[in-house]
Amino acid sequence: MTTPVAGGLAQELAATVDELRRMTVQVRTGGAASGAGVLWSAGGSENGGLIITNAHVVRGNQATIELSDGTAVRARVVAHDRKRDLAALDFEPVAAAVRGSPRLRVGELVIAIGHPGGLVGVATLGIIHAVESEGEGRAPRWIRADMRLAPGFSGGPLADTTGRLVGVNTMMQGGLALAVPAAAVEAWVRRAHALAAP
Amino acid sequence: MSTVLQSLSAELADAVQSAGRAVVAIHARRRIPATGVHWRPGAVVATNHTISRDENITVTLSDGITVPASLAGRDPSTDLAVLKLAGQSLPTASLRADTPPRVGELVIALGRPGPSVTASWGVMSRVDGPWRTWQGAEIDSLLRLDLAIYDGFSGGPLIDGGGRVLGINTSALARGVPVTIPVATVERVVTELLERGTIRRAYLGIGTQPVRVPKSLGRKLELTLDTALLIVSVEPGGPADRDGLLLGDVLLELDGAAVSDSADVLAKLGGDRVGRPLTARVIRGGQVKTLQVTPGERPQSQAA
Repeated sequence: MTTPVAGGLAQELAATVDELRRMTVQVRTGGAASGAGVLWSAGGSENGGLIITNAHVVRGNQATIELSDGTAVRARVVAHDRKRDLAALDFEPVAAAVRGSPRLRVGELVIAIGHPGGLVGVATLGIIHAVESEGEGRAPRWIRADMRLAPGFSGGPLADTTGRLVGVNTMMQGGLALAVPAAAVEAWVRRAHALAAP
Repeated sequence: MSTVLQSLSAELADAVQSAGRAVVAIHARRRIPATGVHWRPGAVVATNHTISRDENITVTLSDGITVPASLAGRDPSTDLAVLKLAGQSLPTASLRADTPPRVGELVIALGRPGPSVTASWGVMSRVDGPWRTWQGAEIDSLLRLDLAIYDGFSGGPLIDGGGRVLGINTSALARGVPVTIPVATVERVVTELLERGTIRRAYLGIGTQPVRVPKSLGRKLELTLDTALLIVSVEPGGPADRDGLLLGDVLLELDGAAVSDSADVLAKLGGDRVGRPLTARVIRGGQVKTLQVTPGERPQSQAA
């Protein structure tokens, strides 16, 4: 039977390890055996993240980093010190690649990802149903796609066949999937940031 | 990366773009415009049920220009109508008449319920032989679709992956189920509507009801079929009345073919039968009698 102290210790240790696991990454270089690294800073929407590891773990000047959630990102060595056996790598922020151009075409294939009914990462395929004509230079309000989306798709990405984001899935209307165009999302984010700034 | 997926996507968009040039918006009803296809130079095909007026019709072309159009004619039995445009250099639809669509083939339905073209995709769910609409018109083949219907579906073309037109879509011929009127049928109707403005259909001026022929009578008269058509109404002065068919006659055969359903009668009344006598076998007063009846041309908006 565990004593109250030992039981509490085990729990606290587990919690701390979980916390540490989140800042521990895998560092892989060219298929060779991988080492570990510390996620020094995760980076924001514009700044990349920083990883610290041993210099002997990274041989070349780039590496693949696998974050604790399984996301793999490419990282570049920015500083290297053989004496202290340290290396610093930065990686591009994990963000959606947004399609700025070319314009969407009616009939083009699009992919939506969502979590309907508790199923994680469900994909569905459809085509662009309509592209609003650029009347008076006004940006289109909605992307209309011929695909059927369940509620769990709301807020998720609508992407083209190269994986570039074209919109944020929002609702079904008259049998069509409506998504907020990526350009409208970007404009909204810029305005929201400007408002939030002191 | 995924080049097959990307080229499929580009090909679908190319098909929509090229076929979409011949797809027009038709302003001939309230609320949303309907779709039409520039089928032959100066002739636009649309669905009859989406054209609610005969005059003041305008058409918006794929380049955004709106022009007046005149109604060349309508055929409610196939749900087709033809409009004429004056002096347009708009491209005509590229038709696929040689190879019929196949079940499972990827198809796109186009519409133009406004200035821009719209698309929905799906597959051919059924391809079958000739069928007859509830108003008696023969459609060359049954083409059923597994795809979603949106505003502007009716009157729009069904296209294949190469942008070639397989027919005209309508939701009004099969209780809202999307069907496509094949190219061959559209061609026939367009030719006739452009020539005469109406589709000629023969008619007899009778109303019928299927009845069972009593076994004893059947044996006595040496009949093979046990169902025939009781004539329950005869239009006064109509072709059947003129040629001596009577109320209460039981129609057994028409032009040598047994009839047990009103569709069997309609099948004998194509446009080419107008003025050409048919042999009718009827039971009258317990005896089989043979008569000659000459179908007339059915007046517009008359069922049988």
